[in-house]
Amino acid sequence: MSPAILLAQSKNHYSISGTIKDKATGETLPGATVSFLQLPGVGVAANSYGFYSVSAPEGSYILIATYIGYRTDTLYVDLKGDLQQNINLEAGFGLKEVKITGSSSRSNNILTAPPGAQKLSINDIKNVPVLLGEKDVLKTIQLLPGIVAAGDGKAGFFVRGGDADQNLILLDEATVYNASHLLGFFSVFNSDAIKDILIYKAGMPADYGGRLSSVEDIHMNDGNNQKFGVSGGLGLIASRLTVEGPLLDHNGSFIISARRTYVDAFTGLAADSTIRKTKLYFYDINLKGNYQVNKNDRVFLSGYFGKDYLQLKQGNGIDYGNSTGTLRWNHIFNNSLFSNTSLIYNSFNYNTHFQSSTNNITVGSAITDYHLKQDFNYYLNSNNKLDIGLESIYHVTQPGAATTSQTSNYNSIVLQKKYSLESAVYISHEWKATDRLKLTYGLRVSDLSVLGPGNFYTYDAAGNILTNTDYSSGKIVKNYINPEPRIAASYQLNDSSSVKISYDRNVQNIHLLNNSTATSPTNVYLPSTNVVKPEIADQFSIGYYRTFHQNGIEFSSEIYYKTLQNQIDYKDGANLVGNENIEADLLFGAGRAYGWETYVKKKYGRLTGWVSYTLSKSERKINGINNNNYYLASQDQTNHLSIVGMYQASKRWVLSADFVYNTGTPVTYPEGKFSVDGSPVYAYGDRNSQRLPAYNRLDLGATLYVKKTRRIESSWNFSIYNVYGQSNPYTIVFQADPNNMNRTQVQQTTLFKMVPSITYNFKF
Amino acid sequence: MKNRNVFFISASILFAFSACTKTITPTLNNTTQLVIEGAISDTTGPYHVSISKTADFYSDNIYPGVSGATVVITDATANVTDVLTEATPGDYITHTITGMPGHAYQLRVTLDGKTYTSISTMPQPVLLDSVTMDYSVNNNFRPVANYQDPVNQKNYYKYSMKRNGIHVNHFQTFDDRLSNGRYIREKLDCDTGTFHHGDIVNVSLVGLDTGAFNFLKEAEAVAYDNANLAAPATPTSNITGGCIGYFSAQTVSSKATMVQ
Repeated sequence: MSPAILLAQSKNHYSISGTIKDKATGETLPGATVSFLQLPGVGVAANSYGFYSVSAPEGSYILIATYIGYRTDTLYVDLKGDLQQNINLEAGFGLKEVKITGSSSRSNNILTAPPGAQKLSINDIKNVPVLLGEKDVLKTIQLLPGIVAAGDGKAGFFVRGGDADQNLILLDEATVYNASHLLGFFSVFNSDAIKDILIYKAGMPADYGGRLSSVEDIHMNDGNNQKFGVSGGLGLIASRLTVEGPLLDHNGSFIISARRTYVDAFTGLAADSTIRKTKLYFYDINLKGNYQVNKNDRVFLSGYFGKDYLQLKQGNGIDYGNSTGTLRWNHIFNNSLFSNTSLIYNSFNYNTHFQSSTNNITVGSAITDYHLKQDFNYYLNSNNKLDIGLESIYHVTQPGAATTSQTSNYNSIVLQKKYSLESAVYISHEWKATDRLKLTYGLRVSDLSVLGPGNFYTYDAAGNILTNTDYSSGKIVKNYINPEPRIAASYQLNDSSSVKISYDRNVQNIHLLNNSTATSPTNVYLPSTNVVKPEIADQFSIGYYRTFHQNGIEFSSEIYYKTLQNQIDYKDGANLVGNENIEADLLFGAGRAYGWETYVKKKYGRLTGWVSYTLSKSERKINGINNNNYYLASQDQTNHLSIVGMYQASKRWVLSADFVYNTGTPVTYPEGKFSVDGSPVYAYGDRNSQRLPAYNRLDLGATLYVKKTRRIESSWNFSIYNVYGQSNPYTIVFQADPNNMNRTQVQQTTLFKMVPSITYNFKF
Repeated sequence: MKNRNVFFISASILFAFSACTKTITPTLNNTTQLVIEGAISDTTGPYHVSISKTADFYSDNIYPGVSGATVVITDATANVTDVLTEATPGDYITHTITGMPGHAYQLRVTLDGKTYTSISTMPQPVLLDSVTMDYSVNNNFRPVANYQDPVNQKNYYKYSMKRNGIHVNHFQTFDDRLSNGRYIREKLDCDTGTFHHGDIVNVSLVGLDTGAFNFLKEAEAVAYDNANLAAPATPTSNITGGCIGYFSAQTVSSKATMVQ
């Protein structure tokens, strides 16, 4: 033990606490670290509101505050009693890095963060080339190990072999059920309004729950509390505008950020009259305001509203959107106890419209959550922190309602709404057992109450109704109580390397039903019921982490093994629309996924970027499919490689490139054909017994900073998606050959063969 | 409710920027399987049962007939049995049996020591009111089937079409799960340019039972919409014993019109 520690044991301990913010904008900096020059190994990371609290023996210290992309700040403190110390950090200037005491100026979070966790700030993603020049945080995380995209033109992503609905996507704590715009081309997250994203693929802290595979915790910007600002961008198909500024004598701030696409401006130029009359756009608005009531109290109000319209000339089309609202109250009880109370509302709905001379139909579905969450962070001393909290979500889902005109072929139908209450309590202890060993262990206990009113059925194996019980309002039909243990440990081998291990259990009670590959949001959300049991995942993960060149290069290598229970699949010909007895069309089974992920990231210098490689397998075993044997899950990709590079060529030019390669996903192909009424119909082999060809793509980007004066800053962004025009399959159709009715053929459609784009961004 | 077209079209608009389609030839396994298809209807016989083998996907649409099977159809309600004879290789025809609504029919095929059986009950007939034409899309005139769905029963349908007396290779299914008791005006899908001015269009409304309908509904999705199926699979047969195909006791109501 170092003399400082020995000395420490004989003295009184005092705490230092406060908020870490950006000096110029007042934005809080979650994850920024505070440590003591004189006490190696003692330090703390700010929580998601920028609050930190750390204790040390009485004495004089130099406090070091670091955050990636910011100049490290040092403060002299004389610790004679508990101290409140807010810290303001100055954004770093690109290439230049202030060095004070060697490696400590560069954060080395990778060594101590939970395994499977990763954080990206908007700065990290701003130069990564993306489709049509819209920088996109959800698209960028799909270049990280263990996270794979559903494919060009498809919504959703898969984490460590899980399904697309097993990702908990939070925007300022509100659940975002459908995170995609325009059939999956963009995410709903406007990068101008986003501060950062925190991703957990394993070792989820006990305060997160409800999804099996991952957590994507996205924080909105708070808004500049120092000065007014306007920024935006003009792109080929979308434009953005953001206004932010201080409120109430700099004690508060606001931000409003809006975005709209105008793809329909182009469709108006099309030769085809059907295309010409099409409406096709989305918009979204992010709003946030916060107010520092007094030294210890701060309130935040944030909201998101987004809508997509895809409408053909005859009135056939769909619209869908998410709305979220979060009211939060931060309260600092004392130097060591921080509290946050959140009231959250979120809803997702979609409507499909069909219109013709005789048929007018609107089919809708929705899910709405009312959510209360209370969290306490208790910093006992420099080695112990307790997180305690509880939450409760009241889910109301409308699985389907159809309104039809008098002359329609269809009846109006309103399926019974489904009600459930999802509650959880948790406790988690973060314990620095020794200088090298850090343990975080906790328990989350979740409960889902399936509530009346409504009819609840039981079914036999063939799907016939056995019983039908009518429950009255508020009556509990079924309770599912699940303990979810979470354990993570990191052991620092030396200054530059560590090993980490974790085990966690997650339980999921909201299930997305969709048996079509069409990138439609016409999905049905079903809560667990008396028939559909909660999905459960258990994951073990172990990893080795190392930094090189004074933390300038990070290396990590992780392996994981995951088992899944109560996974959902569909009977052939399942009816998911307008079906009161939808559970009779479902199949249930198990899954397992395992893999090895390697990641190298260069964080500093003219050339930055990362290489990520994943070797993995994901399988399912569903009763009634492939003779009840394990088979490859549809998202299985054996090899997945991403390379991302950004190069500061000069003061004005930043060049960037990314390359993606992955093994083709499993598909089911015909093994023969026969005739029904003269049309060829196909006989299929085992589920997912074939694979698509491998996917690969190279994107290039360049950003030109035109002007960087005190008043105005502007840049041009040029990008090319799929530079060498690789024909990656979007759909593969088996069909009668239109040129020879005595033959059949296979047609592959590729969406994006080289898509160039230009975006102009400004800020003043 | 078919909403796939909406997504296809909106997707194709967006993809107009750079989407492209090409013919590919992925390697496919080839497993030959037995296919049995048979129907008995309330129209006059003889009725046919065809037994064939599946063909390789990349070969011509020629499905070799299977000879030498013993094929028996029994009217379980009236207790009448008809032993079919093989008219041409793989095509077996009835002699005496007649189709009656409400009667249950059993198909029994014995081939190479294996037995394949199925039971299908003929539903009560639903009559087609009229056939009209939809001219709203240039060069894709589509027949419209007009009829009243009866409110007191579950109904399963198949539509088939003839152009100038020649069968059009396109079938379509419909059921009244979300339409019970409605007056149905159903536009029938067909390939662009199938019907022209002056053509005589004949539409048949075929009433099915559940087992035959489920097979045909899945067959329709596989034949015309396989790219959108997350997990395409061989349609579920209502014949036991390990073969593809279906046996249907069905009602047929036909009407004709001329394309203007």
